Amino acid sequence: MAIDGLVILDSTGRPIVQSGFRSTSPAYPLLHIEALNDALSKAPRPADADPVLYVPNTGIDGPSACCHVKRGELRFLGLMSGDTDPLYVFAFLETFISILRDYFGQLSAETLKENFDVVYQLLEETLDAGGHPSTTSINALKDIVLPPSLLSKVLSVAGVSGLASPGTNSHPFASPIPWRKVGVRYNSNEIFFDVAEELKAVVNKNGGIIVSSVWGKVHTNCRLSGTPDLLLSFSNAQPLTDCSFHPCVRLQRWSRDKNLSFVPPDGRFILMEYKYTPGGVHHVAVPFALKASVDCEVNGGSFDVALTSRLTTKVLENMNVELYLGEGATSASCVVSNNTSWNFDPRTRILHWNIKAVSPSSSFSLKGTFSSTAEQPRPSHAFRARFEIPQHSFSSLKVDQLKITGEMYKPYKGVRGRSTGDVEWRW
Amino acid sequence: MAAFRAPPRKGENFELSADLNSEYKEKRKDAIKRVIANMTVQKDVSGLFPDVLKNMQTDDLEQKKLVYLYLMNYAKTQPELVILAVNTFVKDTDDPNPLVRALAIRTMGCLRAEKIIDYLCDPLQKCLRDENPYVRKTAALCVAKLYDLKPELVIENGFLETLQEMIADSNPMVVANTVAALTDIHIAAAAAGSNTEVFVITSAVLNKLLIALNECSEWGRVAILNALGRYETHDDRESEHICERVVPQFQHANASVVLSAIKVIMIHMRSVRSETLTKQLVRKMAPPLVTLLSNPPEVQWVALRDINLLLQKRPDILSNEMRVFFCKLAGPNNVDALLSELKEYASEVDVDFVRRSIKAIGQTAIKIDEAAERCVNVLMELIGTRVSYVVQEGVVVMKDIFRKYPSTYEGVIPTLCANLDELDEPEAKASLIWIIGEYANKIDNADELLGIFVDSFTEESYPVQLQTLTAVVKLFLRKPDTSQGLVQRILNTATKDCDSPDVRDRAYIYWRLLSTDPGAAKAVVLAHRPPISLPRTTVSPALLEELLGEIPSLASVYHKPEETFVGRGRIGADAIPKGGSELADDRATAQKAFQTVAAGQQAENLLNFDDPTSNDGQQPTGLAATTVLTSTPAATNLLSGTSSNPLDDLVSIFGNTGIGTNAAPPPTPGQPQTHLNAFGGLSFGGQPMSPAPPMTPSVLQAVSPPPQQQQQQGAQDDLLGLF
Repeated sequence: MAIDGLVILDSTGRPIVQSGFRSTSPAYPLLHIEALNDALSKAPRPADADPVLYVPNTGIDGPSACCHVKRGELRFLGLMSGDTDPLYVFAFLETFISILRDYFGQLSAETLKENFDVVYQLLEETLDAGGHPSTTSINALKDIVLPPSLLSKVLSVAGVSGLASPGTNSHPFASPIPWRKVGVRYNSNEIFFDVAEELKAVVNKNGGIIVSSVWGKVHTNCRLSGTPDLLLSFSNAQPLTDCSFHPCVRLQRWSRDKNLSFVPPDGRFILMEYKYTPGGVHHVAVPFALKASVDCEVNGGSFDVALTSRLTTKVLENMNVELYLGEGATSASCVVSNNTSWNFDPRTRILHWNIKAVSPSSSFSLKGTFSSTAEQPRPSHAFRARFEIPQHSFSSLKVDQLKITGEMYKPYKGVRGRSTGDVEWRW
Repeated sequence: MAAFRAPPRKGENFELSADLNSEYKEKRKDAIKRVIANMTVQKDVSGLFPDVLKNMQTDDLEQKKLVYLYLMNYAKTQPELVILAVNTFVKDTDDPNPLVRALAIRTMGCLRAEKIIDYLCDPLQKCLRDENPYVRKTAALCVAKLYDLKPELVIENGFLETLQEMIADSNPMVVANTVAALTDIHIAAAAAGSNTEVFVITSAVLNKLLIALNECSEWGRVAILNALGRYETHDDRESEHICERVVPQFQHANASVVLSAIKVIMIHMRSVRSETLTKQLVRKMAPPLVTLLSNPPEVQWVALRDINLLLQKRPDILSNEMRVFFCKLAGPNNVDALLSELKEYASEVDVDFVRRSIKAIGQTAIKIDEAAERCVNVLMELIGTRVSYVVQEGVVVMKDIFRKYPSTYEGVIPTLCANLDELDEPEAKASLIWIIGEYANKIDNADELLGIFVDSFTEESYPVQLQTLTAVVKLFLRKPDTSQGLVQRILNTATKDCDSPDVRDRAYIYWRLLSTDPGAAKAVVLAHRPPISLPRTTVSPALLEELLGEIPSLASVYHKPEETFVGRGRIGADAIPKGGSELADDRATAQKAFQTVAAGQQAENLLNFDDPTSNDGQQPTGLAATTVLTSTPAATNLLSGTSSNPLDDLVSIFGNTGIGTNAAPPPTPGQPQTHLNAFGGLSFGGQPMSPAPPMTPSVLQAVSPPPQQQQQQGAQDDLLGLF
């Protein structure tokens, strides 16, 4: 198992940051970068290039492979040799990206260049030269690599050194719990849980559900002093399946009684991810109905779409319905209900229909025509609808109680739900 | 900060040197940052080595790190200068701050300079027993690096023994990193040909690993799980115990941990005797696999290729989860849902996607007898759309359905023939011609239809020519009275006006056959062919076992054994003597194998479950099994003259033919294949399929295929080149 190193490319495919590659020849990373840029230019769309590229024999270094992901304008490459697990590399890239986000906020070539010293320190700490990821927990990292802060910048400009690193813990990793540092102190102790669920569904033209599943994440923001040991219980945890947990969760306890017992990391983290499968009923209902007819004629076509909310109390917000009008589509003209808007993007050839708020049981319509240079236009056979429902959860997951042991204080607890949906509706 | 982004161009290093020697602390630190900034954009700042080195002794940890970073970069080119730094390094390993101790030992390990290594041992000895776990784990990894450079130092100093003791460390992070270091050394030692096992996992070690597993970081878990996969259990109780302890890892958020855990379970499940437990384990595997698919696309890509392997071994794992995979699975129960889904896909916009959907419908029809009729109905509906590529793909797929269910769906033949004019792709044309030839006696105007192709014979591509030739001969044998002229005409054209030797050869053979013994011709050309079937696995059982043991890794993603494409790291490529084959050959094979992989990948997406498979001679057990299993459809296909696109995933015909031929002496890639070779290969492939055929046909089986074989070789150089 060996990750030889990591390279970050800017939007033009030039490297801006790369790790040491101390045991390989200097040409090694260059060959990978070249192989990747080559593959990207050959693929019909950049996203079509295989995410794992084989880089044939690179001279003295032997054959190797390159895993790459694109985040924003940056592309992250994980280089590996030997029979390494690509998932291991991807997992590391993902982790490293989230560390960078945590340190610098929005990622861009500019921020990385500006903070290159921190980036390099992070690389050194997270990826051991032998190819093993080492410290990747944000809590522990912040002990050893200081995030760039306004304070440290001001201090360094003012020429006051030493003070710039007051937080450096002289006993790093003294904590027996790798994800939580020791000696955390807050004036007001609070913990927030955000239950975010996403409905992903495919509906056929008769309104029958082909696939629908709800994926949930429990985002947690923990601001508790000391080393609290928490026990979180849900009043209806049974329909949660396919769960995966943050390493802090005691898995045995969950499989025994579906309670989450854990010592949380400090700050933000994702406590658990799950899939919601309602008992008995096979599918989760889609909260709206779409009636659509699309007719294709020579060099164009017409469409007539009606959208009705199936909810009785809640509002669907930011509803966005899309239709790809096919190769050659040039323009569209539509008539829409009040309080909705439409636009056609000639570059992507996608027609967008936006409804700010779909109140309970209300209906909206979109009628229009489009023209195309293709004699027989072939628009996509499905509408894609995305929406949000604040203060709602499809699974109606409820936190029963949160018990805290090991610390004396009574923390403030907050639970919030929000839902989004991404539905493909065929016609 | 802006200062180093736009430094003065002239005499920059000179200026930096002055700053590095400045009396002001901040100025020095800023200068170091600028040096590093230059270094990272590949500017040469090696001349500043002595100046940078002066700044190494400092209380500022950040500055120390930057200086270390610089040293690591230039140690290789300027080893004599690094010696100057040794004292500081050694001193730093005694620093009261554990961060400094760890940093010093880590950096010394990375310097890779011969001269500094000898100074490393004493501090390393000390750090391995440091009171701080961070220092201990850093030191453990450092041992592996030292082994990479000078193994004898590790052995002399007893570091291996120390590491083995450290598996019992109280800190799980230290345990995990020790395991990683020992595994690295173990692999390096094996690659260097050492006979002693460096990292033997005893039952005492096993228990320590199982305890540490639940408490360490995700990376540590992967290291420990990999070690667990190597453990050889003593009895089924122990295997059960391991499985029970590993199963909770399925719920880890990290995909790599999940698949490593699945690998461990797949390995140790082999020796679990309790049926209930096995069932339970298989059931528990489904949710984590489904969860993997909610990951980003890159992870999905890798996961799906691994899931493909898992399904070949245990098709039942995901039987309730089909909807998540769309058409990855098909059993008679869910075939309706699958079919309507595929039909939807087939009306999509993306041409390639549509073609694969149609292929998948064909695969469903061939795999599941009960569903065949429904599949044919769907296909006919699709052909009715008259969209060119849909029709063409549909015709190709229908040909395979006819092969599997002869004389069942003749009713659709007129519809197919009606689309004759729409076909412009060789494969579709060849398929339709095959159908016409095969059902010549049921199609009234077969001679007319074939006549069209005979007229344009010389303009057609070779596969179409071969197919036309065979079809006309079939027609003649079935309706000799009406097609005498046609057959005469085509034999004439094919032997005289055709530039492909394959076509000419085949024409001569038919001609000779027809003129000497029409009875024998009938027996050969109209011979009853065994129906085709799709092999349930795309890789041989033995290879499957091996690959499952390597999930998740490159090998399992590429569905190739590891040594065919990746040597074991830098030392390893030369060091693995495998099956006595020569090194150069090994390399060449590896290269070729990769080309195959690449070619295969270009031609596939998530929809197809039957990748063109190739095997190589290094899998003797697997080979025997596969050849018998897969040569049947392949050889038949050659015999019947069915031509097909080389990368036809549907039947994997040619990939499998490759397996059939590799028993023959391997032809040098690029050199034209002699007939002798082809005979050797084919008679090998042919025998198991027809155990007791009459004498003549069996000889002819060996005679008639070579043309096909060569034509295919051209199209598929890389696959056959392997052998």
